[in-house]
Amino acid sequence: MNSRLDYAALVRAAKRLDTIQTFSKVRLALLSDAATQQFVPLLRTLLHRQGVHAEIYEGAFDGFQIETLSPASGLYAFAPDVVIVLNAVQALRASYAARTGGGREFAEGRLGTIASVWDAIHAHAPKAVILQSTYVMPYERFFGNFDRKVPDSLYAVAAWLNQRIAEEARVRTHVLIHDVEAVASWNGRREWFEDRLWDMAKSFCAFSLLPEVAKNIVDIVLSLRGRVVKCVVLDLDNTLWGGVIGDDGVDGIKLNAHGDGEAFYRLQAYLKELLKRGVLLAVASKNEMENALLPFEKHPDMLLRREDISVFQANWSDKAENIRVIRQTLNIGLDSMLFLDDNPFERSLVRGVLPEVLVPELPEDPADYVRAIAELNLFETTSFSAEDVRRAELYREESVRRSEQGQYADADAFLKSLEMKLVAARFDCFHLPRIAQLMQRSNQFNLTTHRYTEAECEALMHDPGVLPLYAKLSDRLGDHGLIGIVVLAPDGEELVIRDWLMSCRVLARGVERHLMNLVVAEAQARGCTRVCGEYIQTAKNGMVREFFEQFGFTKIGDEPGHTLWILPVSAYEPVATFIATVPETAQ
Amino acid sequence: MANADTHQRIEVIFRDILDDETLVLRPEMTAGEVENWDSISHIDLMVGVEREFGLRFTTAEVAGLKNVGDLEALVEKKRAASGK
Repeated sequence: MNSRLDYAALVRAAKRLDTIQTFSKVRLALLSDAATQQFVPLLRTLLHRQGVHAEIYEGAFDGFQIETLSPASGLYAFAPDVVIVLNAVQALRASYAARTGGGREFAEGRLGTIASVWDAIHAHAPKAVILQSTYVMPYERFFGNFDRKVPDSLYAVAAWLNQRIAEEARVRTHVLIHDVEAVASWNGRREWFEDRLWDMAKSFCAFSLLPEVAKNIVDIVLSLRGRVVKCVVLDLDNTLWGGVIGDDGVDGIKLNAHGDGEAFYRLQAYLKELLKRGVLLAVASKNEMENALLPFEKHPDMLLRREDISVFQANWSDKAENIRVIRQTLNIGLDSMLFLDDNPFERSLVRGVLPEVLVPELPEDPADYVRAIAELNLFETTSFSAEDVRRAELYREESVRRSEQGQYADADAFLKSLEMKLVAARFDCFHLPRIAQLMQRSNQFNLTTHRYTEAECEALMHDPGVLPLYAKLSDRLGDHGLIGIVVLAPDGEELVIRDWLMSCRVLARGVERHLMNLVVAEAQARGCTRVCGEYIQTAKNGMVREFFEQFGFTKIGDEPGHTLWILPVSAYEPVATFIATVPETAQ
Repeated sequence: MANADTHQRIEVIFRDILDDETLVLRPEMTAGEVENWDSISHIDLMVGVEREFGLRFTTAEVAGLKNVGDLEALVEKKRAASGK
């Protein structure tokens, strides 16, 4: 299975990191009741390998309660993007031993402390995301198996705290969990606990497992910065079922809930859950379309149905070409696609032609597929919204639109027929998860690519000095959901467009024109005479380089990768669109 | 004086962890004389030596080490006792 990361090699590599290859920076603060010196170089190295340069602040050992409460502390002067709170069960064990009341009382006190640390951080660093650890389950079971029945035992206290930490984090969007207990259990708590290292160096685990903890944090940090798998592209024969449909027929392929087809059934069940949480599925198969569809339509044990597949490519072109077609249809980045294929030839072809696509090795035995994929932890996310649940449906509606489009004389006639309705409103609590998600995910239509977290979006929502707007679009064929964000900041005579981003699902429909009409009307209503805008170049947002120009803005600043634009309100003629603005409830 | 095998293998570990390919260990050497040998890398060195020889030091043994010579002697003693 997957090989472990090597502690010594990572520590060595940490000494040779250059900053030239990295293109983005993150400020991490690490607060712990264990020592973290051994841990920091690992975080640094693993982030560097992903192109992220980490500035890391280490809080004083076991001093973070005081540090988080004091507004003048080094922590807040550091201005962290992410605060990692790492609580060691070894420290919990020591306080537990010194408790005066009952175990449950002790646990409640500890939970109160943890929540007050979060709230202090949030009060003094409202933009920071907090990553709270879980407690690793201790090895002592004072009552043996009966331990779980005794609410006072250390074992039960740790379990209770983990449960309650998760519950408290659910009501705070700025708190995410980094599940250290999951890392320890998966790798083995027998190896995890090294009491000697705790005694000598206050290390919370064996050094051999430190890289696994670091990787877990790195996965979350990357996800906060927009790394996300949006679509899984699937091979069919011997990946989604056993055998070759073209040769074996629908009765001959291996696929069932028990027996020799269970491995494939398990993979489908796994994919179905991913689909429910918003990951799109696509097919790239070397098959006749008619054959490829057969199991989806006729096989009683197929968990995945035709409507679960957003783009279905079955033909004799090479797989890289088909992945390109899927990418274009879904309008997503190649680096947000994962390709699963049992055939090593196809995997290496795709890796060679499309190096951005994630192509994991699949084990020889299909029984090991799900485990191999799950171990890579590829589906990390920092939010889950109502939009995710509907995503596959949204894309399905989109494909109906595309097929209808051909029936109209021209694009305008088609757009008119859609009867589009748009809601534009100030950020509100209900939409925050989706707003933050769009902030983190949209790459192409994004003028400034500020990656605001959910906590930062919430801060914008409360800030009377800015006008943060979201836009939702629906039409005759369905609801697109929340697809655009425009953050405006009035500044005297000027209305400044701080951010403007849109989901690529809704390009070429006039949404941006409609929104620009609204922005200029807003400027007028506020008595502003000019609208100002900014474009910050990234590797992916070339499509909006000349965005302002089409609306008659004049370029007033032109540095490499960064342009500034201005438009006199009086010079603007509203652009015709086929979209009606409606209030929130009418949609 | 430790035997050549013990000495060489410990030296490789030290060079590796302290990131100094030219480091030459002498028995009377202490942490204060060697660049990068601080309290953090000390634990890495101990764990690295343990792993190299398949041994395990007690907390008291680690605390009792005064210099490189002590460490080499401790490894020798443990190797002799365990047959490694």
